[in-house]
Amino acid sequence: MSRQERQNLNTRWPRSVTLLLVAALLVVGAPAGAQSPRDRLVFALSGGPDTLDPHGTAATLAFMVMKSLYDTLVEPDDEGKMLPGLAESWTVSPDGITWTFKLRAGVRFHHGKTLDATDVKATLERILDPATRSPRRLQIGPIRSVEVMDPLAVRIVLTERFAPLLAALAEGWGAILPADLIARKHEFGTRPVGTGPFTLAEWQRDSFIRLQRFDGYWIKGQPRLREVFIRFVPERAVKVAGLLSGEFDAIDGIDPDDLPRVRANPDIKVITQVTSLVNVVAVNNSRGPLRDVRVRRALWHAIDRKQVLKTAYGTESIPSAVFMDVTSPFWVDVGDPYPFDPERARRLLSEAGHSGGLTLDLALPQPFQVHIEAGQLVQAMLAKVGITARPRVVEFGFWLSRVFGGGEYDLTVIGHTGKLDPEGRLTGWGDPARNYIRYENQKAADLIHAGRITANPEHRRRIYAEALKLMTEDAMFVILGTPVRYVGTNRNVKDFRQLYAVDTYDFRKTSK
Amino acid sequence: MPFVVRRLLAVAPTILVVATVTFIALQIIPGDIAQIMLGTDARPEDVTRLRRELGLNRPLAVRYVEWLGNLLRGDLGTSITYREPVGRLIVARLPVTYSVAFAAMLVAIGIALPLGIAAARRAWSPLDLTALVGSQLGLAVPTFWMGILLLLGFAAALPIFPLQGYVGFTRDPVQWLRHLALPAIALGVERAAALTRMVRASVLEELTRDYVRTARSKGLREPSVLRRHVLRNALIPVLTVMGLQLGFLLGGTIVVEQVFGLPGLGRLLLQGIYSRDLVVVQGAVITIAVTFALLNLLVDLLYAAVDPRITYD
Repeated sequence: MSRQERQNLNTRWPRSVTLLLVAALLVVGAPAGAQSPRDRLVFALSGGPDTLDPHGTAATLAFMVMKSLYDTLVEPDDEGKMLPGLAESWTVSPDGITWTFKLRAGVRFHHGKTLDATDVKATLERILDPATRSPRRLQIGPIRSVEVMDPLAVRIVLTERFAPLLAALAEGWGAILPADLIARKHEFGTRPVGTGPFTLAEWQRDSFIRLQRFDGYWIKGQPRLREVFIRFVPERAVKVAGLLSGEFDAIDGIDPDDLPRVRANPDIKVITQVTSLVNVVAVNNSRGPLRDVRVRRALWHAIDRKQVLKTAYGTESIPSAVFMDVTSPFWVDVGDPYPFDPERARRLLSEAGHSGGLTLDLALPQPFQVHIEAGQLVQAMLAKVGITARPRVVEFGFWLSRVFGGGEYDLTVIGHTGKLDPEGRLTGWGDPARNYIRYENQKAADLIHAGRITANPEHRRRIYAEALKLMTEDAMFVILGTPVRYVGTNRNVKDFRQLYAVDTYDFRKTSK
Repeated sequence: MPFVVRRLLAVAPTILVVATVTFIALQIIPGDIAQIMLGTDARPEDVTRLRRELGLNRPLAVRYVEWLGNLLRGDLGTSITYREPVGRLIVARLPVTYSVAFAAMLVAIGIALPLGIAAARRAWSPLDLTALVGSQLGLAVPTFWMGILLLLGFAAALPIFPLQGYVGFTRDPVQWLRHLALPAIALGVERAAALTRMVRASVLEELTRDYVRTARSKGLREPSVLRRHVLRNALIPVLTVMGLQLGFLLGGTIVVEQVFGLPGLGRLLLQGIYSRDLVVVQGAVITIAVTFALLNLLVDLLYAAVDPRITYD
């Protein structure tokens, strides 16, 4: 070794030591165990809220977090039946116009104020105020006025009968805020104050949110967890890796492709939840050949709906032929009116004058890989009956504006989210100016309106059943069915619950 | 007028052009914020009402002039989706993006300088060829893929580094470094690949110059020749490229932030584009443009430090 080399070595040595030290520091800084404490749940969600103001958003991801911060007057149980929430009981006048809610006594907001009727009045007026710019203003119902009867009683007067009022109040955007802070124009979007089971401890936008148990919560013994840490993880591979390594206690929305890997791990439990979605191959009823019901029925016969549903959306998905989620009490069984039968599809097409084949545009929304996959299956099936579907994958914002909003498409694949009440799903159908497939049927529209203003549940069920059957008879679009959602949790996590049809997580009883 | 002031003044029109192009681009791409906010539940009447309440039915020119006026007063506007001032959103994210870009640059330089110099000194040796092939590979591997591989390897399988997230430097410097390590490597390696080739070519060219022969014949030892003569000259073009690379890195953070769940400017920009939240996109783009312009100015000033022949008046 020459002197020069030795010198080099000498000068390099301390540098490598430094590097080693830095590396050691990085490794030592790692948490001792990947597992988090027993009273802390780490949950990975695919995205975060845009705002924590319940009246300022329509995003499901936002409501998934807000459910833990706020409460509503009523809440759905697992079957969609309305249970008391902040309201202990309620009555409705015989004409269905006046609703009176009796509030629970002794409920406290996070900042110490006790809940009373003025809070409900101020909240509803805030939603209805155009200055709030609530995306959900029209969904809260045709409210004429809100009156304070006594400190614990509030009356809502409607302009017309509105059967889905309870359901509307139970949705995330019906969250009750304190009147004093509303008056002070408090910024709920970043500093939420509600009556919910948790308070906001820390929020790093697009990264994580840390919720802390609210010790003054009105249900004794709840929430059971001291802390819920929600990490927003857009990459699906990372989410699954985190669940498998124990860094996350729970993750939502596991892709069917990842299931075998997750299920192979004995420490992980996969919960299969039936969603409130209805997935469809939507058909633009105003476009050329698609105006003909025979062509639309041919599409049903040409597509092996069960196979598309189970291959693209998971084997446990439930086929259905009506535009209602199978878990809804309003779902009706119409069997399989247009069974998979390519021969019949070809016959119908030729009856409609398209024996020479047909070319249709097929818009597929990015980044929904499952819909794109379903679309590719549909394309192959349609090819077998002489229909050339030309797929084009479009970004979701583009899809919402041009396809959904603008009607610039022949076929598309999408899932329709459910609502607590059929009104939320069905309003606008039958009137071609108010639904994106331009479906026109005055009778269906009339029935849906009748359902909206009918109070008797049994009558409503019959009315909606008739409307749903009519829509399927018209083959307005090709209905695939209701997909399932796979949620993965660590085996020791208990009572990991999602609210029916609202699709938000309820951590009140969760423990581990 | 001093050089620095002149250069700073030149930034203003650049920003105006960038802002206008962004404004027009977002008008041209299909998608409407009201429609996107309401999603698949939207009825036409909801969309019309929300558009009116958001002031989107006013003429384009009016909205542009109004926004520009606010910008001149230093107000970037308030985001419709986030319901927060854009300035506040950006300030919260700048440290993340700057940290990632800076750390990635360090990784890139840390690899490229020694490797490029070594490769040039032993041109066409096995080491040089390995460096050349390696840098070609480094350029070919997408940052996204590299990031996922690093995560699966060194955060999931071997839980050495955190899987996701960011911790501020002031809060915990060690955690800050740990959270930055993998994103910086994922982003830095690709830039290192480009930079290595540049350093090698530049040093190789200088090594054949007459002054190098003179220096060697004076009896100067090779390290001195390299440090005092070759590198000084070779680094000028390298510096220029590095300035440009930092621009790339600011763009590259968009991908890395997504993979590593870093709450930086890139993710904000992406969300803004997805939701067509114009003020968010413009705020983010302008911030990136200003940063880029200032970095280039810094590079110009560094020329003078590296090469005493360059002066600015």
